Amino acid sequence: MTISLPHFFSSSRPFGQRLLRRGAFVLAALALVLMVWAPPAQAQEKMSEKEKQMLAQLQEMNQADGYLEAHRDVQQPMELLGGPLSFTIRQTSGGVFVSLPDNRTLDPDVFGTPDQPLAFTGTPGITGVPVPMRGVSDGQFTQFERMSPFGDKNTTMANGNLMLQATDRTATDAATTEDEVMLKASWEDQDGNTYAIRCCEMLVSAGPEFPTFGGVVTNHILHGFTGIGTPLMPTEYTYAAFWGMGAVLKNGEVVDKPRIVHGMLTEYVRGENYKLVSDSEVTPTRRHFHLMVAPFMPVKGEHKFQPKDVATGFELPNGMELPFWHVMFENLEIESQRGE
Amino acid sequence: MSLVSTHTLARTRWLLGLAAVLLFLVGHAPEAQAQSSSPAATVDMTNTLSFAPDTVRVQAGETVRWTNGSVIVHTVTADPEEATTDESVRLPEGATPFDSGTLDPEERFEHTFEVPGTYRYFCIPHEGAKMYGTVIVTPAE
Repeated sequence: MTISLPHFFSSSRPFGQRLLRRGAFVLAALALVLMVWAPPAQAQEKMSEKEKQMLAQLQEMNQADGYLEAHRDVQQPMELLGGPLSFTIRQTSGGVFVSLPDNRTLDPDVFGTPDQPLAFTGTPGITGVPVPMRGVSDGQFTQFERMSPFGDKNTTMANGNLMLQATDRTATDAATTEDEVMLKASWEDQDGNTYAIRCCEMLVSAGPEFPTFGGVVTNHILHGFTGIGTPLMPTEYTYAAFWGMGAVLKNGEVVDKPRIVHGMLTEYVRGENYKLVSDSEVTPTRRHFHLMVAPFMPVKGEHKFQPKDVATGFELPNGMELPFWHVMFENLEIESQRGE
Repeated sequence: MSLVSTHTLARTRWLLGLAAVLLFLVGHAPEAQAQSSSPAATVDMTNTLSFAPDTVRVQAGETVRWTNGSVIVHTVTADPEEATTDESVRLPEGATPFDSGTLDPEERFEHTFEVPGTYRYFCIPHEGAKMYGTVIVTPAE
């Protein structure tokens, strides 16, 4: 059962106050994530008892549990070394790349081999990829056998606009946070429909399955082998990232909320033909911004997630609705500064 | 009387301002607008992060025109100082680096090649995706 969060969006208090003090204690219980579209909800319902048992066992084995347990109830978290870091990321012209469901090629540096597998614990797709969901050929893993937002297929959409203003103050996961995020992003399909994401009236101050560092993290390494975010994305140096609860809009109307929204400014992780690269192919000298609305929601009272498709309102060529947003902005203006 | 004078003065200022703006725009027009002759080759910039065709041949003194036919912002850049990897740019000895700057959808850029040789250029935001192109310039006949 997923958690309902309507009260997070009813506040009329100023942004800063809304952001943290209230509801912040609930964050740890809910929070965040990022990524993936592993087994769809229907598929999960059709799981055999043995498969359900395996899923529960993998979630129990999540390697970050101990670390998160030590942090999620902290009421007065430490501040970032060197003080707050504020940043603004903008795109004012040009389009965006939108990921489509695809199978992800599995990088042996991240996922190991069938004999010595890595990165398999936690909720499938969120923090791990179960071995039975991996293709195998010639003694190597080949691809994630489920469709996810992390593959090579994509399309472009016009008129991408991005405005992200954020501050990283709180260093660690905690029950409260002084971090702040204001995000507005939009883009248009070829029929003139406008899609938008708004975030965050609430930040994920503590992650259920991996750390979120108070909701905003700067100058860190995420994904891949790190265990912070899905391993289906390459290991990538991340200049700034956030996790929070936001809303999904189409043509100015909210079509889904609350949803977990994740954004990050990273080194460039696409290759020729916009292929999602492996760790050894990352381009450290270029950057792009990823915006993700994951097809997952936190499970009430538990530190794990379950699949829940996003109502994007965007129809795929096969008539299905795109069940997530994973959007890349690459015509960026970036500013940052230390201090208040 | 003073009302008429004020109106005339304002109108004159407005026209002078308009003229100044037009002069500014003409003076700062992209290289594409400054070129009048038809290009010897044209290249499209695509949504799939490619220059199409990826290689063109022209003679020294001829012009290549690039058009951003995508919804994505691109650049046409053959400047080693803008590149982050050596493979992104190649210039013949004596050739001058060039850079279109940001090209929004539908915008164009032209460059006339004077020095024979092989030029390799790239798109700045998509250097990581290896959006490269080549211009081969042969001596003028």
